[in-house]
Amino acid sequence: MATTEPRIWPTQKVLQPTPSELYPSSDNPDLLEINLGPNHPSTHGVLRVVTTLDGEIVVGLKCEVGYVHTGIEKNIEQKTYWKAIPYVPRMDYLSFFSGETAFCMATEKALELEVPRRAEWIRVLFQELARLHSHLVFLGTGSVDLGGIALLFYCFRARDEVLDLFEMVCGARMHPRYCQVGGVAEDLPKGFEAVCRKFIPFMRNQLDQYDELIGANPIWLGRTKGVGVLSPEFAMQMGLTGPNLRASGVPYDLRSANGGYGAYRELDYTPVVEQGGDVHARFRVRIEEMRASVDLIEKVLDGMPGGPIISDDRKVVLPPRHELHTSMESLIHHFKLVTEGFTVPAGEVYAPIESARGEFGFHLIADGGPKPWRVRLRSPSLVLLQSLAALCEGVYLADLIAILASIDPVLGDVDR
Amino acid sequence: MALRPDAPHDRPHTVAPTLTPPSGAVVIPPAQVRRSLRSTDLDQVVMTTSLEKIFKMATANSMWPFGFGLACCAMEMIAMISSARYDVARFGSEVVRATPRQSDLMIVSGRVAHKMAEPIRQLYEQMLEPKYVMAMGACSSTGGMFSNYSILQGVDKIVPVDVYVPGCPPRPEAVVEGLMVLQERIKSGIPSASINQETQS
Amino acid sequence: MQVNSPTWGEPDNGAGDRLEAEFGAGVIIRRVEHRGELTLDIPVDRLLDVCGFLRDREGYDLLSDVTVVDYLGYQGEVAGYWGGGSDGRDINHYSHSGKGAVPEAAGPKRFAVSTTLCKVMTVTDGNHRRLRIRVWLDDNETISTLISVYPSADFHEREAFDLMGITFEGHPNLRRILMPDDWGGHPQRKDYPIGGEPVQFSDEV
Repeated sequence: MATTEPRIWPTQKVLQPTPSELYPSSDNPDLLEINLGPNHPSTHGVLRVVTTLDGEIVVGLKCEVGYVHTGIEKNIEQKTYWKAIPYVPRMDYLSFFSGETAFCMATEKALELEVPRRAEWIRVLFQELARLHSHLVFLGTGSVDLGGIALLFYCFRARDEVLDLFEMVCGARMHPRYCQVGGVAEDLPKGFEAVCRKFIPFMRNQLDQYDELIGANPIWLGRTKGVGVLSPEFAMQMGLTGPNLRASGVPYDLRSANGGYGAYRELDYTPVVEQGGDVHARFRVRIEEMRASVDLIEKVLDGMPGGPIISDDRKVVLPPRHELHTSMESLIHHFKLVTEGFTVPAGEVYAPIESARGEFGFHLIADGGPKPWRVRLRSPSLVLLQSLAALCEGVYLADLIAILASIDPVLGDVDR
Repeated sequence: MALRPDAPHDRPHTVAPTLTPPSGAVVIPPAQVRRSLRSTDLDQVVMTTSLEKIFKMATANSMWPFGFGLACCAMEMIAMISSARYDVARFGSEVVRATPRQSDLMIVSGRVAHKMAEPIRQLYEQMLEPKYVMAMGACSSTGGMFSNYSILQGVDKIVPVDVYVPGCPPRPEAVVEGLMVLQERIKSGIPSASINQETQS
Repeated sequence: MQVNSPTWGEPDNGAGDRLEAEFGAGVIIRRVEHRGELTLDIPVDRLLDVCGFLRDREGYDLLSDVTVVDYLGYQGEVAGYWGGGSDGRDINHYSHSGKGAVPEAAGPKRFAVSTTLCKVMTVTDGNHRRLRIRVWLDDNETISTLISVYPSADFHEREAFDLMGITFEGHPNLRRILMPDDWGGHPQRKDYPIGGEPVQFSDEV
């Protein structure tokens, strides 16, 4: 896959005057300006793309977002840190556990709280499951966008198996609110490991089936190869991270950069990189990342340490229930934590993790009180949409759909 | 008395005497069948009902959803539609139309921002009667956990809703139950909420 | 200290020193190191120079984030957020519903615009470092846009304008991005109420 001579990338210039909007340069009076969305089967969420078409070719493009702006950041300012955790996975609702983990990690960084080893490993397990979930939905809806509807059913069937694992551990299929400040909320139940181990060969088999379905399909290859080429320098200028950057040959993955974070430091992860830079490479990166996720899940199950699943700092974490009967201090801690919440020392932290879309981080400004002063999510999808205009210059409308599918934005993440 | 696949059309249909029906099959003696077809007893051959009931049954069992996924609930809606486990095809609803003009049921799945309210109303008005709205999830029912400047506190402020399905997000089974409740409503004669255009402003 | 997030790398004080060597000692007003993260406070008029230097000479090629924080009413190191007195919670406290009087600002200025930068492709020793540049602004002050240096700041700056009201000079397309085009006010400011519907019976104690 990796070639020895450096690949010659096409020069891509940042659009002027606005990097994120394409203006038609021809004076053809027959240009047609149409709206794609906000309600459209192929826009991943409620995205409105105002395109100017010259026949079938895109000559102008503007993204309008904000149709699902939820004001989550302002809502979080009103809540204590615990109560803010359920808001967070609803931003990037496809890799939802990554959101919870990022928020908990930012709070723990601000608190200088150490998370026990078993909790870190469990978090990695579920982050990889969330990544699988996100990539499965990406692949299913991406292939529907390109016209091959069969893959949707395969992917959603596998997605149900992934969600079964989430449901086993905390009761909810999506948005589990399983990550807690200091660790995770509950231990893995008995029988979880057996179900997860059965899931691993099933998922590998499924991935082989996906490869069989689309790997050599001439229509798929014809529609995705050479379309939407993104050079690494341009990707860096436009701020892209994640699988889109790795599809252009840049091996930057926060799970391995500087050694990684959390339990990835012990798991020794190698980023999945493709050299094509086109839609096909972006699809392949995600399929290979799914394989790597399954391998990581197996490694985590093999090496799962024992021990506590949450920190024992009683100023931040609830004491175990049986202690409330005997210890006065535990009772008081429990009371304070439930009524007022723990306080976080004042200061600013930014804790990025690698979600399925790229660098996903929380910029948390704490003020010494029980509620965060300001929380900002560094949304990878907002940055991705900026590059849509440049990628779609002069392509067919059908290619626009393919490119949009391949860069995989999630509108909940964009609009927050 | 099914046509045998290789029987030519110009020869009479007869069951060859050596043919044995599979074990467990209920064999109707030919004489009895011929008699029931020529019966003058109307109860044997005619079922009476009202036109209303037929229309309602047809409407209820062929609700074409309008795929209106806004946020996280959309994922569970897609799971309900395109997953063999939840199989909404058994209700006649697997035909998800992308255009409101061909759909019956608008499933508002996800949080409704003020910016999106106008497109939703426009799409609702483009649907043809009889039309039904299902508010899927807590956010479209009442605004959910987002009580703020940006989210409409319930989609019933702009469109009249027939069924509310709580959950965040509701399981696909819950949405299927909502669909079944809607089917029961239709079959029992309750008109769709669009009749009165009552919104909860 | 790196408890859970080694993704920052070591604090890059060397870059700060080289900035001071290039632009003079006044270019960095203050260095803040908190939880292993280095923040440099820069005066508003030096922002483009500093960012250009960091991108071209120091190798910070990825703009990670542009965050605006409104410090109106910030109490600082107060352990507790009791909006009221000994006889009960004050429903007029700004943290509850945005109605009532807002206390004076307690920071150097009201708004802080922070830009987090990261080294991605220019790294040869495997050490992807991050650095935060922060600029303090008052309500009616403007800041120059970073698009000429980092084009990916486009949507971030539009969002900062939309939700916080910061005007970026030189931005070619500064209009609302998340709120409807005819929306009034800037919702994420601290004196803008949270909105929503009042829950029934919530005013009775």
